[in-house]
Amino acid sequence: MTYHNRSNCGQLSLSDVGREVSLAGWVDALRDHGEVLFIHLRDRSGIIQVVFSPESTSREICDRAGLLKNEFCVFLTGRVVKRAKGTENPNIITGDIEVLARDLAILKKSSTLPFPISEKSMVAGTAIKRDESIAEDLRLQYRYLDLRRPTMQDHLIKRHRILKVVRDFLDEQGFIEIETPMLTKSTPEGARDYLVPSRHHPKQFYALPQSPQLFKQLLMVSGMERYFQIVRCFRDEDLRPNRQPEFTQLDLEASFIDEEFIYELFEELSARMFEIGGINLPCPFQRMSWQEAMNSTGSDRPDLRFGMTFRDAADIFIDTKYGIFKQILKRGGCIKGINVKGQSDRLSKNILQNEYAKEIVPGFGAKGMTWMRVLDGGLESNIVQFFSENERNEILKRFDAENGDVILMIADQSWALVCSALGQLRLHIAERLNMIPKDVFFPVWVTDFPLFEETEDGITSNHHPFTMPDRTDFDPGNTGELLTLRSRAYDLVVNGEELGGGSIRINDRDLQNKMFQALGLSETDVEEKFGFFIRALEYGPPPHGGIALGIDRVVAMILGTSSIREVIAFPKNRSAFCPLTQAPSPVVLKQLAELGLLDMGGTQALPGSKEQQDLIDSLSWVSRININATERPAVIVAVQDAAALAEIVNRHSGEDEPLFSVVTIANRTRTGTEARTSLLAEKGELFKNAPAIKGGYFKVASILE
Amino acid sequence: MAPDIFTYKNVLPQKSTEGGVLAGKKVVIQPNMSARGWLTNAGSLALEGFIALEDATVITRLRNAGAALIGSTRMSELGFGLSDDKRTRALCGGEADIALITDTMGEVRVAAATSGFFGFKPSYGIISRFGLIGLVPSMECYGIMAKSPEDIITTIGAIAGKDENDFSMPDEKLPDFSMPEESPKTTGVAGVIKECLSTLDDTELKAFEAGLEKIEEAGLTIQEVSLENFRLFQTVHNVIGSVEASSSAGKYDGVRYGHRAAPAKNWNEMYLSSRGESFGLLMKTYLFQGAYLQFENYPAFENACRIRRRLIRDTEKLFEHIDVLALPTRRLHHDPVRAATIGETYDAFLLTLPANVTGQPSLQIPSLCLNSGADLGLQIISPRLSDARLLATGMRISSIIHGAKET
Repeated sequence: MTYHNRSNCGQLSLSDVGREVSLAGWVDALRDHGEVLFIHLRDRSGIIQVVFSPESTSREICDRAGLLKNEFCVFLTGRVVKRAKGTENPNIITGDIEVLARDLAILKKSSTLPFPISEKSMVAGTAIKRDESIAEDLRLQYRYLDLRRPTMQDHLIKRHRILKVVRDFLDEQGFIEIETPMLTKSTPEGARDYLVPSRHHPKQFYALPQSPQLFKQLLMVSGMERYFQIVRCFRDEDLRPNRQPEFTQLDLEASFIDEEFIYELFEELSARMFEIGGINLPCPFQRMSWQEAMNSTGSDRPDLRFGMTFRDAADIFIDTKYGIFKQILKRGGCIKGINVKGQSDRLSKNILQNEYAKEIVPGFGAKGMTWMRVLDGGLESNIVQFFSENERNEILKRFDAENGDVILMIADQSWALVCSALGQLRLHIAERLNMIPKDVFFPVWVTDFPLFEETEDGITSNHHPFTMPDRTDFDPGNTGELLTLRSRAYDLVVNGEELGGGSIRINDRDLQNKMFQALGLSETDVEEKFGFFIRALEYGPPPHGGIALGIDRVVAMILGTSSIREVIAFPKNRSAFCPLTQAPSPVVLKQLAELGLLDMGGTQALPGSKEQQDLIDSLSWVSRININATERPAVIVAVQDAAALAEIVNRHSGEDEPLFSVVTIANRTRTGTEARTSLLAEKGELFKNAPAIKGGYFKVASILE
Repeated sequence: MAPDIFTYKNVLPQKSTEGGVLAGKKVVIQPNMSARGWLTNAGSLALEGFIALEDATVITRLRNAGAALIGSTRMSELGFGLSDDKRTRALCGGEADIALITDTMGEVRVAAATSGFFGFKPSYGIISRFGLIGLVPSMECYGIMAKSPEDIITTIGAIAGKDENDFSMPDEKLPDFSMPEESPKTTGVAGVIKECLSTLDDTELKAFEAGLEKIEEAGLTIQEVSLENFRLFQTVHNVIGSVEASSSAGKYDGVRYGHRAAPAKNWNEMYLSSRGESFGLLMKTYLFQGAYLQFENYPAFENACRIRRRLIRDTEKLFEHIDVLALPTRRLHHDPVRAATIGETYDAFLLTLPANVTGQPSLQIPSLCLNSGADLGLQIISPRLSDARLLATGMRISSIIHGAKET
C-alpha cells in the first residue's frame, strides 16, 4: 500500500461508487456487530464509514480490524458502495455511501483517551452529546487531541480562510506584508512589557512588542507607502477571562491617505472576512463621534443592536420643585434617561425599587435611579407626586412614552458618571429582558476621541502619543485646553465589542515634541525612549495613518465561539498558563547566572524575600489555612525545605512513568445497591457531629460579606 | 488506668465471642479508626468532637473475631509521626494485648521498638481502609503492635481481606495467614543495605551488628547489598506524603463536623480561620509543603512518583538474591516524640520510610539490637504480599531468642 493515491474521506460521494480507494486517517468511532465491524474513519476532510465483513473482507483483515480502538491511526483500501436503503446516516456528509474494506494497516495505536473526540454519531437519528463539562485545562493539556475534533479543525480552517482573505484583499489593494522585529525596545502602549534578558548585554533587556507601532511608522518614512502585517503582539496585562498574553493582530499603515481611505478599505475588508462565516455586514458602517456615543449609550463601544438610547432630560426640570433634581441641576449636573419599551409587566415596582434603585444601580456608581412606569397615559412612581403636571407631560413627550413603557433616569452632578451608570444599566436591562437580537451584527466607527485623559498625576494619551490632534495650535502647558482636544482616531466597534482602532499620525517633528511636552516627558526621557523615532521625522516623513484589528476577537465573533481560546491552536488558559507545555516554568540557576540576573537586586532586598512572603500568603489562601505571626517563620522554613526537596526529585527524576499507587488501581462499580438517601442522613444522625446547624441544614457563613 | 492516655475508654467491652480467633484478647485502637459511638477525633481539632457513625471494616472484623475493644489511645495529629503518643503505654501497662496503629512513616514499628514489642506493617493494599481517617492514602496502612508475633499473625489473619466497601483495594491474591503447625526452618539470606549503615553512629552500628549476629545464629546468612538511592526514600516520601496530606486534609471544612472558628464575615473567612485553628503547627507546615508542591511545583510530585517506581524496582532486584532486608528500626538520637519540625520527624523515621514508599511488609523484632539497655529494633522487610513468610521468619527468630533467654 502506498499513500500517493490516497482519497479524502469527506470528499467521497455517490459518484465514487464502485471505485477502489485508499484512505488514511483516524478511527473516529466503532460499532461492533459481532461478525461485522463498522468504523468511522476520519481525516481532515471528513468522515466515511468503513465496513469489515466476512462477506467482503478476508478473515485476516477482519481479525486485524478487531484490534482497532478509538483514534488508532490507520491506512486502508476498499471499494466504495452505496448504502442499503434505510441504513443511510444523515449525521455525516458521506452518509449515503460506505467503503467495504479490502486491506488494513494499523499505522499506530493510540492510548486510552483523556476525553472523547468523536462528534458524529454512527446511527441515524441519534446525535453525540458532547460533554461540555470537560475541563478546559484538560482539553488544553491534550490540545493535540482536542484539535482532532471536527469542530476545532473547522475553527482553524476558517481562521486560515479569513486570514487568506485579508492577505489576498490587501495584496489587491497594493499593500505589502513586511515583518518587524520581535526582540525590540519597550513601546509606550500602556500595558506591561514582556521582557527578554540579553546574554550579550548583561542586565539589559529586549521587550516583546505590544504592537509594531513605531516600526510601521518608520516604514512609512521609508516610503513603503502601504504596509500590513499579521503579527503577534504581547501584553503583560491583568488576567481577564477572554484575554491572552500574546494575540494576533492585523497591523496596517498607509501614506498619503485620510480617514475616509481607512473607513472604505476596512468596511470592504470586514465584509469579506465576515462572509467566511456567512455573515453579511451592513455597509457603509454607521459613524458616531465619541461624544455622541457617550451621550446616547454611555459607552465608547456602543452596542447598537437594540434601541433604548439615552435622552437628555435636564431641561425639563429647570424649574423643578423636586429637591434632588433641583440640587443637581443647580450645580451644573446632568439628567439622562432611557425608555424600556413595553416592559412594565416584567419590571414591577418591587424589581425597580428594591433591585435596581437600591442594589444594582448603586453598584454602577450612581447614587440612585428614578423610575416611572407609564400606565393609563400617566406616570406611576414613588416620586412622581413631586413633579408638576407640565414636567410629567414633558417626560412622556421626551421619551415617546406609551402605556406599558418604563422610564429610567439617572441624575448626578457628573456627566461622566451619569453616562457610565446609565450605560451599564442599559446593557443590564437589555440582557435581562432578552432585548438583544441574535445573529445581528451592527458595526460602527467611533471617532473624535478626546486626545488626552485626566489622571491623578496629570494627563495621559487616550490612544498613544503619535495620534494626530484635531488642531495643532494648542499650548502644551495648559491642561484645561489640552483636555478639549480631539484626536483623529477611530475605533471599529461591532455589537459593543472593540475589534480594532487606529488613527492618522503626527508626521511633524515639532508637533511630536509638543505632544511629549504636553505629556510631561522631559527632553532626556524623550531622547532616551523615542530619540531614534523623532530623528526619523526629520527626513521628510509623509502624512500617514493606520489601524490594527484584533484577529482573535474578529475570528471568534465571526465563528460565534464562546471564547477566543476556541480559535487559537495553542492558547494559554485563563491564568496565562499553558497546561500543555507547562509554561511558564522555573529556569535553572545556571541560566540566570549566564544572563547576569542573579545579583540584579544590588543593595536592594534579595530577590525572593518579598516573593517568599507573597508565596506563603498565596499558599495560605489556596489551602484556606490561616497562619499567625508566630507560626509564619516555621511555615517559611518548611516551604523552603519543600522547594529544596523539589529540586532534588527534579534532578533525580529519571525516565520512568510516575507511579501514583504501588498497587494496580482496580476500577469497580458497586454492585446491588441503588442510589438512596443514607439512613444516617434520614435519621438526622449526620447532623449530630455538625458544629452549627439551622433547620435541616448545616449552617455556614454567607458566601459574600 | 490513667485516663489521659485514652481518647475513648470502652467501659463495657463486648464479651469475647466463644471460639473467635481473638477471643480473650484485649485490643486497643486509635481514634482515627471509626468505631460506632466512639469519639473519633484522629488527634486533631479538625475532627473535634466527631463521634463515629459506623464501624470501620477492621473494627467489625475484630469484633467478629471475638476481640475485646478496650478503647482508643491518644495519637499524634492525623497519625503523622509519634508526638503526643500514648499508644504503647496501654500495652506496657498490660491493659491491652494488641494495639492497632496506622503506619504512615513507620509509626507502628518505631513505637514498638521503643517499648520492646513486635510491630508489623503489612503489605500495602491487603487491609480495607473503609472507616479509616487517613492522611497519606498511597503509603499509610493499619499496623499491628503486640507482645508476641503469634498475636500479630492472628490479628492480621482476622482483619485482612477483600472488602466491598473499599473500592481502592487491588484485585490480588492475598497472603495466606493460616498459622503453620511448626515454624519453618529459617534459612535464607538477609541483605544489609550498605548505604543505610552510614546513617548510624558508632554505638548504633555496634548495636545493629549485635542484632545481625543474633539473626545469623537463627540460621540466616548476612550479605551486604547496595541501594544507591537509599537517601531518596525520605525525599520521595516527604514530597508525595505532603501533597497527599494537603489534598486529604482539604475536606476538613468545619461544616459537617469538626472545629468551627468564631462566626466569620463570609465563607472564605470561615474556612481560613476554622482551618487555621484546626491544625497544629507541625501538621500546618506539612500541609503548606504539600500546597507548595501541589500548586507551585507540581512536576516535583510527578517526579517523586517516577522515583518511587525506580526505588521499588531497585528493591525488587535485591530480592532476586536475598530473602529479606534487615535494617535497624530507629536511631537513638532521633526521637520522634521530640521532633518539632517536618525535617526532624522525617529523620526520626528515616529507616522505616522505605517500606511505606514501596508498600512492602516490614516486621519489627525487639530485643536483638541492644545498646546498654536501649533497643534499636530490627526490621525485616520482604517483597510485597510475602507477609506470611515474613511473619514466619520473624517467629522463628523470636523463638530462638526466647530459647537463648531461657538458657
